[in-house]
Amino acid sequence: MLSIQHISKQFGPVKALNDVSFEVPNGQILGLIGQNGAGKSTTFHSILNFIAYDGTISWQGHALSPADFDTIGYLPEERSLMTKLTIEQQIIYLARLKNQSAKVIRPQIDDWLERFAVKGTRKSRINDLSKGNQQKVQLICTLIHHPKLLILDEPFSGLDPVNADLLKQAILRARDDGAAIIFSSHDMENVSALCDQLVMLRKGEMVLHGTLNDVRNQFGKTELYVTTDWSATRLATLPAVNHVDVRQPGQYLLHLTDPAAGPTIFAELTQGHYIEEFSQQPPTLDEIFRLKVGEDHA
Amino acid sequence: MRKTWIVTLETYLRQIKSWSFLFMVLGPFLMIGLTVGISYVSANSASSSKQVAVISTSQPLRQAYLKQQTDNLNTKITTVSAAKAAMKKNHLAGYLQLNETTQQVRADYHGSSRMTSGLKAQTQNFLSQYQQARNYQQAKLTTHQQRLMARTPVLQQHIAKKAGTANLAKTISFWILVTMIYIILITYASIAAQEIASDKGTKIMEIIFSSTTATSYFVGKIGGILLVILTQIVIYLVGGWAAFQIALNNASLKPLITQNQSLIDAVLHNLLNINLVYLFLGVIIYTILAAYSGAVVAKAEDASKAAQPVVMLGMFGFFATFPFQNNLDALLVKVLSYVPFFSSYFMPMRIINGTVNGWEQAISLAILLAAIALFASYIGSQYQRLILQTDNRSFWQHLIHGWRRQK
Repeated sequence: MLSIQHISKQFGPVKALNDVSFEVPNGQILGLIGQNGAGKSTTFHSILNFIAYDGTISWQGHALSPADFDTIGYLPEERSLMTKLTIEQQIIYLARLKNQSAKVIRPQIDDWLERFAVKGTRKSRINDLSKGNQQKVQLICTLIHHPKLLILDEPFSGLDPVNADLLKQAILRARDDGAAIIFSSHDMENVSALCDQLVMLRKGEMVLHGTLNDVRNQFGKTELYVTTDWSATRLATLPAVNHVDVRQPGQYLLHLTDPAAGPTIFAELTQGHYIEEFSQQPPTLDEIFRLKVGEDHA
Repeated sequence: MRKTWIVTLETYLRQIKSWSFLFMVLGPFLMIGLTVGISYVSANSASSSKQVAVISTSQPLRQAYLKQQTDNLNTKITTVSAAKAAMKKNHLAGYLQLNETTQQVRADYHGSSRMTSGLKAQTQNFLSQYQQARNYQQAKLTTHQQRLMARTPVLQQHIAKKAGTANLAKTISFWILVTMIYIILITYASIAAQEIASDKGTKIMEIIFSSTTATSYFVGKIGGILLVILTQIVIYLVGGWAAFQIALNNASLKPLITQNQSLIDAVLHNLLNINLVYLFLGVIIYTILAAYSGAVVAKAEDASKAAQPVVMLGMFGFFATFPFQNNLDALLVKVLSYVPFFSSYFMPMRIINGTVNGWEQAISLAILLAAIALFASYIGSQYQRLILQTDNRSFWQHLIHGWRRQK
């Protein structure tokens, strides 16, 4: 388990992290969300001891030391490989630095290239690959030694939906192998699809923390999805409706000021008759993200 | 240790597989080959035009001359008209006409330029000997009288050959050693700085530092560069040995080598001892400093600029030895032979001249080794911070900041 307790980091006058605490148990995925500059990469750099920080970070009950390096898989935010090497040379060099034998890694390379649909052979030079394929090779380098602690900084950036799905499968496989995984992303859909829990940072402060359902439920079931022949203007007259968004003709999203008004709205809207859609839900992660960012700008 | 070796091997293989290394190593051989080739071609093409024909109506006189010396002589041309024709075609430098009357021997040289000094001396020597023999013959001297007449005064120089050779050997050894340090330093300072600076600001360093410690990586990089230096030295040693063997089998060079065998042995003796350790340690400490310079630059493109302070320091050490070569008892020489970065120049100078005892050498070596260890461990501890950050602090600001952080 990765445990982060009360870590703070200051760069000059800027507080990059302020009393951040969370844990990532083995076999679980934690999503770290936040705007650019919120402190996500600083958190990763603190875990990896790249920077000095205040607070405590432990891995499997002890402070992270060079002895643990072989169990870590880290993907930095910007992609970077040794462009003059071939795919095979690059993968083997980085795997050997993780104490893997070239003899063990070499036979696995083709399988990994196929799994990530890399366009190129093991003998292709990194320089000759497209950016997307370079990124996939870097992901292979991060995963091939089966790390027990996986730290992925914006792993989905630059990947198309098909390749993003391939990465999701790889992350889920690593989780099933018992790895503790922490990743940052701006794509709330990926976070929702993968994470057991999430942390949102805003200007170095932790503003949200919990499982996806816990976080969403903190905001109450204030979103009401309905499909009806009522007009938006008429829907706006219903009790506790703050405003109405038209999703499609006849399909609406009602934003409620009080979740308890749900049964009253249901009774009034249906009048005891069949209605195609009436679904009261908490806000989506995307909406929560915007809401939390908006709070700061307000 | 295993990871350090992996980094060393990767650095080494990448460097020696590069075209620049190949050109750097083969460059001197190509230059020597090219020079020898050009000289050979030019000597061959010019050889006929350098030749001189020997013409005489007296065959015994001509044969006696040719018996003495045949180098650069054309023995095929025997007539003045043939000689003139050959000169016209630029196939002959000139011709020597030998005449003999009853009393005197005479030689006339006809050429487009003066006789070479060698040919002139050789001809004069031949003529005096030949004339003297004729004179004795005509004077009808007895053998005893001939012997008396042949007696010449004696002038002989008495030089302490051993001391002379030793002094020359010292000078040659010293120059070979300091020039080697200097050339290696100049060549590899920018390579080391570039090698380290190319990592600067790249995200792959974050991946590497999540796999091994910065110190281990830094030592590995330095090790790789030192292996490249060692490879170059070995190639030059093998190349030098091969050239020596070729020279030994060359008729014109062999006498030169045999004649100077004691000098060659003395130079080798001066080089292949503790001075070689000073050379290697000197290269190590300068390489570490160059690597550090590479680590503090803001951008990889500034790497060659970063190597400048190291090159300047090396140059300073190199040129500082010049005024002291004949003044080894100067206090400054003694002090600098213990100061890291300078001891690699000054201590070998004192060792070659035999003005330092074993203890002093041991102390100087211990200081140098300690400085290397301290320097490497200090930079290793700062290396991760230096490589991962890309601020615009200067070399000295980084150094001061680094020391402050250590305290």
